[in-house]
Amino acid sequence: MGQIELQHVTKRFENGHEAVADVSTSFAEGSMTFLTGRSGAGKSTFLKLLIRAQQPTRGKIFVNNINIAGMPERRLPRYRQHIGVVFQDHHLLSTRTVFDNVATPLRVAGLSEKDVARRVRPALTTVELDGKEGLYPKHLSTGEQQRVGIARAVVIRPKILLADEPTGNLDPALSRHIMELFARFNQVGTTVIVASHDVSLIETMGARILNLENGRIVSDRVTEVPSGLENSSGEMS
Amino acid sequence: MVWFVVGIALALPAGLWLVQVNMEEMTVEWQGRPGLSVYFELDASPERIYAVKRFLVQTPSVKTVKVTSAADALAEFKNYSGLGDALELLNENPLPASLQAQFADGITGAVVDALTERLGQQVGVGEVVVEKTWLERLNDISSVVSRLSVVLAILFGMGAVLVTASSVRLAIEARLDELRVLKLVGATAGQIRRPFLYFGVIYGFGGGVIASMLIAITVLVIEPPLQSLLGSYDQALNMVGFDPIFLVVLLAVGGSLGVLGALIAVRQRLAALEIF
Repeated sequence: MGQIELQHVTKRFENGHEAVADVSTSFAEGSMTFLTGRSGAGKSTFLKLLIRAQQPTRGKIFVNNINIAGMPERRLPRYRQHIGVVFQDHHLLSTRTVFDNVATPLRVAGLSEKDVARRVRPALTTVELDGKEGLYPKHLSTGEQQRVGIARAVVIRPKILLADEPTGNLDPALSRHIMELFARFNQVGTTVIVASHDVSLIETMGARILNLENGRIVSDRVTEVPSGLENSSGEMS
Repeated sequence: MVWFVVGIALALPAGLWLVQVNMEEMTVEWQGRPGLSVYFELDASPERIYAVKRFLVQTPSVKTVKVTSAADALAEFKNYSGLGDALELLNENPLPASLQAQFADGITGAVVDALTERLGQQVGVGEVVVEKTWLERLNDISSVVSRLSVVLAILFGMGAVLVTASSVRLAIEARLDELRVLKLVGATAGQIRRPFLYFGVIYGFGGGVIASMLIAITVLVIEPPLQSLLGSYDQALNMVGFDPIFLVVLLAVGGSLGVLGALIAVRQRLAALEIF
């Protein structure tokens, strides 16, 4: 059994629309996977099921051998503390500084302020935002805001990192940079699942690609890293 | 603004409770010396007055008896009324002699009624006034105020809870993005709720402070005329109830209602909160 395993998972909304239809697949620990497909294919719902932001209508979702579909509400916070999530529109808190935004998961987890500082600064270094911890999100570019969102997702050192269209608002160069950041987290053992419709970019990432259509997996393949891009991801700090 | 609304909602029942407590206190004071007054006819002879006095002195349910002659009554009236010169012009004293009796402790209404009837049958007696009547009216008013304060406490308490709940609800709506992020990164229900419960406590506590101030101002405003009114009944104003314990209870009740309102708001809104 993989670290994440879906068994005949279906998510049907009240209006009858099936966003995820009888999906069975698994994700190995430390793997990197891209979910692709057109808008409405079910990519976002797929990720929401993995953080139990949505409950499947049918089926089981095992994460580290625990069926999160049947997990009681009171246990969800602890479960979510081990999963990093990045969104297309960042969802940063506009009234908090970069430092406080990144520190939020650590404070929720009950770390002391000393430990918070000890973990936030390296996270900001990793996403190349040194010296910007005192700024507010509105003072940052879109790419920088996205990197704050990534720092917030990884600062807790999650075992699983999920990203929903993380490059949706970025230019091609920035998009590649962000994808390489995810690849670097994957290289240190984090299981990464990225939903993206940017096929030309993910084809170059040398990872597994799951193609969704109408909530079903229509293809599952692994791409090769094109020659010349093998070492572009670099080392994690 | 919320503080004032909650404050007014708390001040009304709390103020009525104070009124009721003080009326009960007054009743107790007056109950300590209930009695009756016998007013004689103008031509009642001293012998008749003496006979009635002797009858009352021999009655076991009567503790003390004091006679006020017609002349004494006139002199007293001159003193109080300031109409001395006008009264000098009258050919004869218009005031009757009277007699004030104080009942012994534990006298029952039936005994008072029987005594009143017998006194009324005595020759020379014009009118018998039982002070118990006032007492009964005061008791009735106190009872009405008591029930009114309970009803108002329930109604205005619910008002305070609803006002707090809607204010906390607005605070939640203003911070929905933050709450979604907190939920996403694994904040527990308690961690998400806590700041809003603090809001509730602050609203309720602030309302309690405003209510205390409103009541204090009201007491200050009505004290002089009330003192004057009670003075005319030979009573001193001895305000009870408005003390540190009352203030602490008012603040605690305010805080509790605030927490209750906040709990209602967070339960309703946060239960349905989706992450994104």
